Amino acid sequence: MTATLFAARPSAVHALNPLTKLTLAIGAVVAAAALETLPAVLAVYLLVLVPLAARAQVLPIFLRTCARVVWPFALSLFPIQGFFAEGTNVLFTLGPFSLKAEGLWIAAFLTARLLVGLGAATLLMLTTRPDHLMQSLVQRGLPGQLAYIVVTALQIIPGFQARAQAILDSQRSRGLETEGGLLRRVRALAPLVSPLLLGSLMDLEERAIALEARAFTRQGTKTSLTELQDGRGEPAARALLIALMLGVVALRFV
Amino acid sequence: MIDVRGLTFTYSGTTAPALQAIELKIPEGQLCAVVGANGAGKSTLCFALSGFIPHFFHGEMHGEVSAAGRSVAGTPLADLAGEIGLVFQNPFSQISGARYTVREEIAFGLENLGVPRAEMPGRIGEAVELTGLSGLEERSPYALSGGQQQRLAIASMIVMRPRILVLDEPTSQLDPAGSKEVFAALRALAAGRNTTVVLVEHKLEWVAAFADRVVVLAGGRLIADGPPAQVLAAADLEQHGVGRTRYTLAARQAQARRLRPPSADLPVTLDQAREFFR
Repeated sequence: MTATLFAARPSAVHALNPLTKLTLAIGAVVAAAALETLPAVLAVYLLVLVPLAARAQVLPIFLRTCARVVWPFALSLFPIQGFFAEGTNVLFTLGPFSLKAEGLWIAAFLTARLLVGLGAATLLMLTTRPDHLMQSLVQRGLPGQLAYIVVTALQIIPGFQARAQAILDSQRSRGLETEGGLLRRVRALAPLVSPLLLGSLMDLEERAIALEARAFTRQGTKTSLTELQDGRGEPAARALLIALMLGVVALRFV
Repeated sequence: MIDVRGLTFTYSGTTAPALQAIELKIPEGQLCAVVGANGAGKSTLCFALSGFIPHFFHGEMHGEVSAAGRSVAGTPLADLAGEIGLVFQNPFSQISGARYTVREEIAFGLENLGVPRAEMPGRIGEAVELTGLSGLEERSPYALSGGQQQRLAIASMIVMRPRILVLDEPTSQLDPAGSKEVFAALRALAAGRNTTVVLVEHKLEWVAAFADRVVVLAGGRLIADGPPAQVLAAADLEQHGVGRTRYTLAARQAQARRLRPPSADLPVTLDQAREFFR
């Protein structure tokens, strides 16, 4: 029960060092931002991210997640860019507005870039446990406290959702009306917010005590139960990815 | 070894002391239960023994607490962590939130202490077995029941092998069978590893059966201290808001109806009751 997308699979992509996957994700985003043609940006998605998602055995959830997030943006980008971007190739006119081919191309290009960024992040999240990602970053110098905040935020959200639901259910059982018009729904929030907020503050204090009792703030070397190892060739792969990334960026400005 | 000398503590923003002139010595390997009504100062005593008073909860403190050979007030909390463990009632807030399986959650404290990786599986296995969590190692801590989460909180402390373990109502979410297992584990810890265990608990039958010693707090003062059979059978216990074991209650009924002599010692455990009614 977590708020993460991670889907455990026995795949080679899952087995990669989180740092390698993070480098790949950043590389894909940088490439999408630097490449200037629609086919090139789409190629990053179709020839890199989609095959990797398939290899990781997460292709259906990968495509579903991308589609769910991208379509609302696409839905607004195409009419806005189509009608309001500069251009001369008018496809048709609707009153004072003209739909232009150049605008649709810009919308498609922006959507493709969004798709790559989203796809890279989705693939990383589907195949990498957040705590492993943070552990690998802590090993590279990220402060442990910062990593803790990121990981716990993802883990604790479902717990708080469950608590909010329990409070809501108990208020309903005592006759609180939570269904109906906007005003009624807003009014129903008041008896929910106070116990949720106070309960969360009390939890926060207890959690701080529990962490202290488990030596969280202790200075000195810390160890880890899980060992995040580099597979054969992974450091070289990361170096290659960084070189490619720099190459694409350099080409953009040449 | 715990040594409390003249401890008085008043929380910031309050005027009445939560603890007053507490004198208490608990030797190594002893399982000492603390009982008392709500507001008696039990949780405050737990915080004082584990260093959260004065480091975390601020207020006016007089007297001295030393535990595991260190002055609690003079030692940073982070340094006390490996020596003194604290488990409290609410298991949800004791889960670190940073680990995805029970096994990893138990390892969290070991990782912070810098225990070598090779040593971890053995210690985790031992803690899992002691707390009856076998078979749940790969589950998410958030997918456990309240009772299982409470055992996880205890396992997460036991694994750090503290010299002193302070537990504030650790069985509040456990059923009778689960409570018995936890008490037995604490008993084993005290006897087998020489760990000093301080346990705040309302379940007096279990306290009577497993504790070496019972301390009674009322209004922030220590009002009784001794073996369970002596303290829990004392005539004035109810005046201080502390209940009776069902064995004591049954024996008192028998004495009131003249079925047993009034001079006979009141039982506090099942074995003693068996003798009493024989």
